[in-house]
Amino acid sequence: MTPAKSLGLRIYDWIDERSGITHIMRSLTDERIRGGASWAYVFGSSLVFLFILQAITGICLALYFVPSADHAHASVAYIQKAVPGGQLLRGLHQYGSSLMVILVVIHMAQTFLFGAYKGKRELLWILGILLFILILGFAFTGCLLPWDQAAYFGTKVGTSIVGEVPLIGEIMQRILLGGSELTTLTLSRFFMLHAFLFPFSIGLLILFHIYLFRRAGAAGPFHHNHEHKVEPFYPNQLFLDATFILVVFIVLVVLAEFWPAELGPMADPTSDYLARPAWYFLPLFQLLKYFPGQLVLIPAVVLPGVAIGFLFLLPFMDRSSERNPVRRPAAVFLLSLLLASPIGLIALSKYQDRSNSEVRGTLEKQQEVSDSFLRAAFHPQEIGRSIPIDPPQISHPTERASTPLKIYFANCANCHGATAAGGPMGPSLVKIAKRRDLSREALGTWIQGHMREPVADSMPSFKQLTNEEIAELSDWLVTLDSPLSSKPEAIPVAVRDGEPPEAYVAACAFCHGSRGEGNIGPSLIGISAMPNRTPEDLLRLLKNSRAYGLKDPMPKSFPKITDKDKGAIVRWIGRLTAEKNPSPAN
Amino acid sequence: MAAMERIENTQRYISGDDLERPRSTERRSFLGYAIALISTSIASVLGITIGRYTIGPAFSSSGTSEWTNAGLLEEIPEDKPTKRSLVISQDAGWGRMNTQKLIWIIRKGNDLTVFSAVCPHLGCTINEAADGFICPCHGSAWNAKGEKVGGPAPRNLDVLEYRRNGDILEVRYRSFKQGVASQEVVS
Repeated sequence: MTPAKSLGLRIYDWIDERSGITHIMRSLTDERIRGGASWAYVFGSSLVFLFILQAITGICLALYFVPSADHAHASVAYIQKAVPGGQLLRGLHQYGSSLMVILVVIHMAQTFLFGAYKGKRELLWILGILLFILILGFAFTGCLLPWDQAAYFGTKVGTSIVGEVPLIGEIMQRILLGGSELTTLTLSRFFMLHAFLFPFSIGLLILFHIYLFRRAGAAGPFHHNHEHKVEPFYPNQLFLDATFILVVFIVLVVLAEFWPAELGPMADPTSDYLARPAWYFLPLFQLLKYFPGQLVLIPAVVLPGVAIGFLFLLPFMDRSSERNPVRRPAAVFLLSLLLASPIGLIALSKYQDRSNSEVRGTLEKQQEVSDSFLRAAFHPQEIGRSIPIDPPQISHPTERASTPLKIYFANCANCHGATAAGGPMGPSLVKIAKRRDLSREALGTWIQGHMREPVADSMPSFKQLTNEEIAELSDWLVTLDSPLSSKPEAIPVAVRDGEPPEAYVAACAFCHGSRGEGNIGPSLIGISAMPNRTPEDLLRLLKNSRAYGLKDPMPKSFPKITDKDKGAIVRWIGRLTAEKNPSPAN
Repeated sequence: MAAMERIENTQRYISGDDLERPRSTERRSFLGYAIALISTSIASVLGITIGRYTIGPAFSSSGTSEWTNAGLLEEIPEDKPTKRSLVISQDAGWGRMNTQKLIWIIRKGNDLTVFSAVCPHLGCTINEAADGFICPCHGSAWNAKGEKVGGPAPRNLDVLEYRRNGDILEVRYRSFKQGVASQEVVS
């Protein structure tokens, strides 16, 4: 009588009979390691581990990430700063990607050096190169997703290199960007590639790669001394692999915890950010410096093309069975060249950035800005107005009206109204400090936009104002306890001349811009000089725009505007020439 | 002879007897345990982190604003319905969702009455009328105290709690169930 089997064993047996799991595990663990287990063979399995780690952490990041230019940055900042464990998972993912590039290069270099691509392993080798290219594709598309300054400008440089390719470059760039500019559509595309298409492809390729590897068998040592010693994969090699994987994991955790993955302020396409690509694209970036104009083709297409082409053809060109690197000086020389030139170019690029004091200063300043953003506490992104626009109330301008301030009229009056009692776009500012319980300093930071980082409220950030102007404006705002006089003489002359009539602000400004500069509608500046746009034409146009061939969203007519107001609008538009139009920045 | 040897070799290969397995079973099981320990440690670090990451935010405070700024008290005229807007904010992870709501305020000396501007009938925005309030959608009417005087509305205007915070009026905004006679808080 055999003792009754435990329940666990019986369940295992039941599953095994139906799935053959024992047989599968045995054939997996009995892989023949020629020459015995060795630290030299740990790179392949650690890459599989890193791929799985990237997949797991990537799925986690996708839980909170929003692939839209409006919210991507806020959602990454939330993951990084606010979600428990978010910093670790994002750090593992970011450092993991760099380590994957390093390990895949070591894996390939070793295969090259040991001649392990020989002996009917051409397909295996070619799949390996495809995997290498895919890993770089992962890195490139992943860089954009946080939508911070470095991400935006790094990708801008990267995609414009594609545009330099003759004939098809521009088309390819458009397809990659999803248009002529780097926009939210680009982010969607990169996200789709990074989170769906590439993972699916790389998963399939890895399976094929391992299948072909098991079929061809491990190449084993290149010298023939230990030819007879053959060990199974389990336990010795698996133990070495697991130990190395543990080291890799600990290194990643330490990096992610103590040197958190970087995240700078949200991308501002109008800023003059000095872009630097991720380190693994620095060789290409450095090469571009030496080939001006049309010659850009050489570093952007020819050199990488030749290198990749050479790698593809290597097992077909090198048919000798000799694997010992000592007897393959040409191969060793080529490998050294392939490894040393990118490393040299990275070093050169870093050196040049450091030795040019201007570049160095800019980069250091950018780094400081990025670091301080990372250190700052997390602020959720405001969706919708955070300050209400009170329903219109009849205001009675009093004689003790505050003195109008030039800065106010140049920057704020378009939205907050000429009397500061609220306008079509902005709330009333009368007693704003008291009403919102804001200090003078808080008002200043609000105007500069620091409190609304990342900017989402419909109020723009007035970063162009100097600290003195901000101080003057907030000093004035805290004392503003009644609306400004709406009498024309109270308004500075320079501003009054350029000020649009109220009917314009109400009916046209939303589309044509508060000063006729254009928004979703065309610019009106200088329009009176165009054919069929005399003042009489414009008056008729406001009564029946279709007669002038205009289409939606321009309304057909404006029945609510009186003829007198239409006249004022037309007269104001007539004065809108490029020279006379006051720029809001003054 | 050579043929026999090849067959024997093949048999050895198929059975795995050509493999040099570690001689002692202790070493085999020691390595097995070590491998299991390594995989379990990595899996637990990841598992615990992912658990905190996915579940944590679900239990953080929702950050809904209780008392909302409804502007300055001194700007509310005596005995005249005054319309004010306030913004209620709800924190949802990376975003703070702001929604603008309307209220009506009537002041009698130091006493205030704050009404929600949402009609208890079907949710239209209530307007001021000659001596009270009226809903423009279906003509329900209330007097200045918010008591129903006509129309299809099932109840009086919904009164909101308020408090004074220095010069500022603060209101605890609520939404109520529409179309029923009793006042039931929805959110």
